[in-house]
Order: sequence, then C-alpha cells, then structure tokens
Amino acid sequence: MSIPKLTTQSVQATAKFCAAWAIVAMLFSAANAADWGTLKGRFVVEGDLGEAAAVNANKDPEFCGKHNLMDEAIIVGEEGALANVFVYLYLKSSKTVEIHPDLEKVDTEPVLLDNKGCRFEPHALVLRVGQSLEISNSDPVAHNTNLTPTKNPGFNQIIPNDSPLAKTFEKRESYPSPAACNIHPWMKAYVLIRDNPYMTVTAADGSFEIANLPAGKHEFIFWHESKGNMKNMTFSGGKTSRKGRAKLTIPAGDTLDLGDIKVSPSVLGK
Amino acid sequence: MNQNTMKQKLNSFYLLACLVAPLVTVGCSSSGPPEFRLDMVKMVSEETPTAQEYQQEIADVLGALFGTPDEPFALPETGLNAIQLQMAAGSAWSDEKGYNHGLYRKHCVHCHGITGDGRGPTARFLNPYPRDYRPGVYKFKSTYNADRPTDEDLHRVLVNGVPGTAMPSFSLLPSSEVESLVEYVKYLSIRGQMETALTNFVFDELGEEEAEDEDGEPLLDGDGEPVLRRIPFNPAEDAEQQEVVADLLAEIVEGWDAASEKIILPEEDQIPAEERSDEEIAASVDKGRELFYGTRANCIKCHGPTALGDGQQDDFDNWSKAHKKFLSDVAESHKGEPTEDSQEFAASRDEVAAMIYPLRNAIPRNLRQGIYRGGRRRLDIFWRISAGIPGTPMPATGSAAPGGKGTISEAEIWNIVDYVLSLPYESPSRPLKALPANTEGIVN
Ligand code: HEC
Ligand code: HEC
Repeated sequence: MSIPKLTTQSVQATAKFCAAWAIVAMLFSAANAADWGTLKGRFVVEGDLGEAAAVNANKDPEFCGKHNLMDEAIIVGEEGALANVFVYLYLKSSKTVEIHPDLEKVDTEPVLLDNKGCRFEPHALVLRVGQSLEISNSDPVAHNTNLTPTKNPGFNQIIPNDSPLAKTFEKRESYPSPAACNIHPWMKAYVLIRDNPYMTVTAADGSFEIANLPAGKHEFIFWHESKGNMKNMTFSGGKTSRKGRAKLTIPAGDTLDLGDIKVSPSVLGK
Repeated sequence: MNQNTMKQKLNSFYLLACLVAPLVTVGCSSSGPPEFRLDMVKMVSEETPTAQEYQQEIADVLGALFGTPDEPFALPETGLNAIQLQMAAGSAWSDEKGYNHGLYRKHCVHCHGITGDGRGPTARFLNPYPRDYRPGVYKFKSTYNADRPTDEDLHRVLVNGVPGTAMPSFSLLPSSEVESLVEYVKYLSIRGQMETALTNFVFDELGEEEAEDEDGEPLLDGDGEPVLRRIPFNPAEDAEQQEVVADLLAEIVEGWDAASEKIILPEEDQIPAEERSDEEIAASVDKGRELFYGTRANCIKCHGPTALGDGQQDDFDNWSKAHKKFLSDVAESHKGEPTEDSQEFAASRDEVAAMIYPLRNAIPRNLRQGIYRGGRRRLDIFWRISAGIPGTPMPATGSAAPGGKGTISEAEIWNIVDYVLSLPYESPSRPLKALPANTEGIVN
C-alpha cells in the first residue's frame, strides 16, 4: 500500500477542514457544558455484624504482632458507615463512555500502595489504565505483593525498602483485583483498574461521590470484597439486581443523591 | 497493515463458519466417546453463577471452536498445528506406517484428565496434584512471571519430567511425539482459558435483561413488574457476540504467541564465569547467604531459617485457592438465609464441593535435598529466583517484564544461585547470622 504524498494544497485544505471542525466541536462542547452530573450516596450497615476479628499475626510476630491488626474484610465506622465499597460505571466490553474534558488526562501522579505495619495502605483503591501504581514497603520486614488481575498480566514480587515497584496496566478489568502478601497471609488489598475515571471507593464515613458523569441513564456496579456484587440491595428509588448493578439516571448539571443505602448483613454474607 | 486486515477478514470468516457449523451437544453421558467437561467450580461459583442454559451454550461454543477429545479442532488464528493435535488426541493406536496416535490418552490422561483439569483417575493420590492446564499457568519456564511458557519450556518439562513429583520423564518418546504432546497441552490450555473468558463474558454481559419498548421505556407485566428477557449466548447469530468471542480468543492466543519474546535472558556481563577459583565461588556463596537471610530477598521467610522449607507453610497455590474460596462460600451459604441465587445453585454447589480433592498447602521447597523440580542447571535456578514460581506463593526478585528493574540486581541473583546450589552440602547446624537488626528502629 503506498502512502499518498501530501501536497501543499491538500495540507491547506486539511487545515481549513480541521479549523471548521474545531469550531463545530467548540459549539458542541459549549452546548454540552451542563450535560454532566454527579452521583453520590452513603452506605450504612443495618444490623449487627459483631466485632471484627483480631489477626493472629504469627509471621514476623516481633514486628507485626505489635500493630493490633484486625481483619479488614468489613470496615464499619460510626452509625454503621461502610467503608471500601467500590462504586463504578458498568460498561459492556465493547462499549466506552464519553469522558469529561477535565478528566480526560490520566493523572501523572502515581497511585500509592504501601506495605505498612504489616497491612496494605490503602486497603481498597482505584487506578486508571495507564496510571502508575507504586508499591512500596515501609516496614523493616519483607513483603511480597501478589496481584492477580483477570485481563491484565499479574505479578508476584518481593518489595524492598529502598525502591518501590511501579506498575501500569493496559486493560479495563470488570472487577477489583485482589493483592496479597504470601509472607503475611492476612494482608489483602483490592485494586480496581478501569479505562475511565468513573469509579470510587467509599470513605471511612461510608460516603462516595462520582462527579462529571455524562448525564443520562447508566448502569453502576456496587461491589464489596466480602461477597463481591452487592445483590438485591434496596435504596430510595431502586434496587440492585442479582448481579449487584443498578440502572440510574444522572441528571444534567445536577446531582443524583441516593441518600443512605441500607446494607443488610446478608449482603455482606453475614 | 494490508496483510493484517486480510488476515483479520480471513479469521472472522473462519470463526463464523465454525460457529454456524452444526453444533455438537456437550452433555454428560457416561457411555460414548469421552467429552470435555466444563469447570463446574466456576459455573456454580458465587462470582459467576451460570444457569444451565448458559452452560450448554458455552459448551456448544467451545465445541464449535475446539472440537472434541476425539476430533480436536483449532481455528487457524490459534496457530495450533492441526496434524500434531490429531496425533496427540483420540484413543491410542498405531497406523500401518508405525506412527502412534492417541498419545495424550496413552501417556497423560490418567493424571491430567481428558479436559486437562489435572483430575485424572490417579490424581487424587498425588502430591503435588498434576497440573490443571486450563488457566494457562505453568511453573517451570524461562519467561517472566505473568507470561505463558515457550514451546521449548514445555518440551523441557516433558523430557525431564518434574523430579520429586509424580510427573514422569518422557525422554524415551521420539521428539516428534513430544512436540505433538506440547501442542496438545497448549490446545487444552487455550480451550480452558477460553472457557473462563466466555463464562465471565456471559455473566458480565448476558443474563436477564429488563425488556424495553421502542422508546426505551421498560415493559411492565400485569403487576407492574418489569418484564425480564433472557439474552441467549449464540455468537453464530449475533454479530456483536461473535466479535467479542473473536477478541477474547485473539487475546489469549496473543499471550502464547508473545512467549518467545518474553524469555528472561540474563545479562552476559553478569553471568559468573565458567572457570572460577574456589575463593571466588566462596565469596559469591557468602553474598548469596547474606541475601537469602536478609530483608531484601528474604527467602528465609518461606524456606525457613534452616532452608528446610519450614517457614511459611500454611499458604496455598492459586489452583487450590480457587477451590478453598469455593468451599468456604458453600459452607457459609448454609448458615445464612437462602436467597434467589443460592436456591438456584444450592444443590449443584454441594455436589461440586463434594468432588473437590483435599486442599493441600503449598510447601516451600526443602533446599537441602538438592532436588530441583524445574531443572538443576544454574540457568534454571536463576529463572526460578528471578521470575518466582507462577501460581505458587514463591515471588519474583528479578524484573517483572522486559526492560524492567528487579528488586535485587542480576549479580545478586547469581550470588543466591550459588548459595542455593551450595545448600545441600552446607551443614544445617552451621551457626546462622543473627536476624537483621533493623526491626527495632522503625515503629508506628
Ligand atoms: C503419574 C502422573 C502424571 C503423568 C502420567 C503425567 N503427568 Fe504431567 N504432571 C504431573 C504432576 C504431579 C505435575 C505437577 C508437578 C508440580 O507441580 O511440581 C505435572 C505437571 C505437568 C506440567 C506442568 C509443568 C510446569 O511447568 O508447570 C506439564 C506441562 C505436564 N505435566 C505435562 C504432561 C504430559 C504432556 C504428560 C503426558 C505425556 C504428563 N504430564 C503425564 C503428573 C503426571
Ligand atoms: C512467599 C514464600 C516464598 C518466598 C519468599 C520464597 N520462596 Fe522459594 N519457594 C516457595 C514455594 C511455595 C516453593 C515451591 C513451589 C512449587 O514448586 O510448587 C518454592 C520453591 C523454591 C525453589 C525450588 C525450585 C525448583 O526447581 O524446585 C527454590 C530454588 C527457591 N524456592 C528459592 C527461593 C529463594 C532463593 C528465595 C529468595 C529469593 C525464595 N525461594 C523465596 C515459597 C517462597
């Protein structure tokens, strides 16, 4: 196949054509400025889950033993606030989503995952395709980080103190991928890798917010590590499906507030 | 580029042709020719509960893509050699020219199983269990941790066997037969990886959908409840599904094709010289020992302070972890109230759970025995320490991808190789250095 030579004429013509398009595009984006909205809410556990179990820190007990480690599978704060729920936009594998101009560029700052006090910090995090995940070890004991994604290649690497391990990923995952340390088997973390910015993890107060979503009807996934998809969970104006998803309409220039989403212990397998 | 588009067109033509070909039903019958079995742990798991109709559809699509144990089939895009697959598949017999057929069933099936799930009739009694090929993960290979093995890697495993395990050496087979078997192992892996990918796809994107009218408004039944519609998995009649299937297969095949570019090639100038003086070797062994017990490489954590493999012993490999998770989910589901989902799958979950072999811990190797499952050459040990042992707890210390940086240097890995190879001859009672003393300083 031969490549057509670019004549000066054709370059000029292309330039004009592009300029025209740029104006059209500008008009469009101006018209669309308000066509973005926000989703927010808060997860609250209803009912008693009992106390989180203490970790038997029998590996490196002389160091790990002094951190009063607790099982972090379910972290419930005041008034039942449920942390570490992943909320994100569901997309079929063949689909992509329009991304707000402010969010188009993938952050050049790495997302940090530290091995600290014989646990992962943070415990749950989101990462965009192309963004760097920087794994470090702040402990005086050895840790390995064993990440097992589904679509992306995994790794299982010893993490030394002096040089953090930097990783980037190329493919969108459907669910959060588990990270483990094989030396300290209680250590777990979850990393959600997506090719768009519409994802978050609930904070210690159970709240979440995803801003600058394209307005309109979307399906969202609600996922918690204890039982995965948060099935059949009711909230004001809706219910999650058997797959832990809900179709929600994001209002243009406004916020859809799901309010307090009540999580019964059975959703968490309790 | 031109050629590529040609190839793509060609490929989707083949794919379509094979998907619309009359489908073989893959059910479970005790008589008749052997059949590939679906991974029932995956089918009834909590992550991807798959209704029976979908199970049949997945089996049909796999049958169209890969044929049967007697009549294996491989699309051109898999790059698999059809003639070699024919030699390896089917029941064992010899043709008039003296060529042996049915090699897999003759030599491998009683351990690795018809489907390559590592569950042949003998498997239950073995420790470690025979490899389940379906995830495409192999332990003893020349490539980076996450990458597939090369053909040479699999060839080497077949010729050498895996010393210290039930996996025998097939060094007496002619090389052409070993090559056919390697091809068949890859075929079973690609089929297994495809099964997982299709099951994930069916769960993630198909299932029941709320029916909508032309205006995109939900259809409601008499009680005002939304009308649900099952989306069939039938790529032969659905162009979008067909494209997904083609993409999933291409992704898996790409992993296998790329293996030869993912070989860990030690840097020439870091490889210790062939001829070294005793002092040089002793100095390297000392450095290796330091690293082995130090906080940077930290082999001691798993292999134990005496390297007898008695450190971290209560972990599992990834194959067992999947089963462990399934078993604990099943046990838990008996406690809670039954849900829609658990009711549909409860009976089959119990049945599948009962078939799972006892879980066994992944025990770090006793390094004083001098038995190396992945080969005893210095390069073999270098690969193990650099890439780790995939699917097991043993982590990598070298770079995780071409051009990357390891957590320790290649020179240091070679020091550890020297130390590991000296371990069978070192007295275990030799006083150990004190543990690294920096534990105190850093406190939260
Ligand atoms: C007596 C039982 C037995 C027979 C027969 C047997 N294997 Fe194995 N095989 C095993 C076991 C056990 C392992 C696991 C070794 C380990 O995990 O260390 C294994 C592992 C393997 C592996 C994986 C190696 C790796 O790097 O992960 C391959 C490939 C393999 N076998 C192929 C074959 C083929 C092909 C045949 C027939 C020609 C065969 N095996 C026959 C028991 C057997
Ligand atoms: C998190 C635990 C863990 C750590 C840390 C670890 N290993 Fe291992 N190692 C294992 C396990 C488990 C196996 C057995 C894997 C198998 O064959 O299934 C193993 C196997 C081995 C083998 C046997 C290879 C063969 O061919 O038989 C060698 C050699 C080895 N490890 C060396 C090391 C060295 C050197 C280090 C430090 C750089 C190290 N290991 C760190 C868990 C570990």
